[in-house]
Amino acid sequence: MTTTEETATTARAAQEPAARTRLRRFLLPLLVAALVVASGVLLLLAGQTKHSPAAANRALTDRAATDAVLDEVGSAVSRVFSYGPQTLTRTRADAHALLRGQAAKEYDALFAQVQQRVKEQELTLTTRVARAGVTRLTGTRAELLFFLDQTSVRRGAKATTVAAQLSVTVGRDGGHWRITAIEAR
Amino acid sequence: MRLRRPVLVLGLVLALALCGVSGWSYARARGDGDLAYAHSRDAALAAGRSHIARLNSVDAREVDVGLAAWLDATTGPLRDELRTARAKSAEVLKEQGTTTRAEVTDAAVTELDDRSGTARLIATVRIEAQPRTGAPTTDRKRFEAGLTRTGGGWKLASLTAVAVGTG
Repeated sequence: MTTTEETATTARAAQEPAARTRLRRFLLPLLVAALVVASGVLLLLAGQTKHSPAAANRALTDRAATDAVLDEVGSAVSRVFSYGPQTLTRTRADAHALLRGQAAKEYDALFAQVQQRVKEQELTLTTRVARAGVTRLTGTRAELLFFLDQTSVRRGAKATTVAAQLSVTVGRDGGHWRITAIEAR
Repeated sequence: MRLRRPVLVLGLVLALALCGVSGWSYARARGDGDLAYAHSRDAALAAGRSHIARLNSVDAREVDVGLAAWLDATTGPLRDELRTARAKSAEVLKEQGTTTRAEVTDAAVTELDDRSGTARLIATVRIEAQPRTGAPTTDRKRFEAGLTRTGGGWKLASLTAVAVGTG
């Protein structure tokens, strides 16, 4: 073995532990960094899952709340769309209590026209809920779909029943659901 | 240099703990029964909307394609019914020559049994009909549908127009 070869072998032997030390020095910080990144990803995924639109909508997942909103809004819809010559004042008062915003404005306009006819023709309208469902439900807002049967009776005429469908939006107001928008379907 | 090691070991312990907590949190979010139920509800609603629209639509020039689409959207008794009536339906539709295009304007799931894979749904539909001759007409209908979960997703097992006085 020549002297040059000897020197080279010694140098390699000295390099090996140096490389291992370097690896050890970086392995731990790398591992910590990887774990932190993994945690971040997991938390993000958990957040996305919990706050997805599907999770925020409690329609049917919260059966009690779903039934409560169906009952309350169903009876409100029946009341504001049921009237006769003797009950005009009461219907209007009900509507005033149950409707808000755009729905109240549109209802007032409709009611002004209806009032005249109710008196002239002794018209009585009775609205009954045939089917109902909740499309969206959160703590403060809900969207419902109603299938209605509306029976009208005019003086000297036979009763006629027609179908009507309404998409109703309600908002939580003072512990009650109040109708904020109505759209005929 | 002497301080580096304990700091790193502490960092590693903390990172491991953080990872454990976030992993548990993710597992809990995924395992949430309500969430799975909510996803089924939304899947049934989306499938129901598209299938109801399809069953109310037919292109008079492509009746056979339309009828195949009807079968594809249905399962169980409704599918059997449509299959039995297929030849007759094709004949009638071709003779009438009316093209209809339906759009579901609103829909809501009214019942959902996630375990047995059944759901009920109500939907309002607007149907535009273009007869072979004459002006197009628009009709509004309301339906109640029964859905069943199949290997190919939620399919219609029944579809009935909700007539007045059947509430």
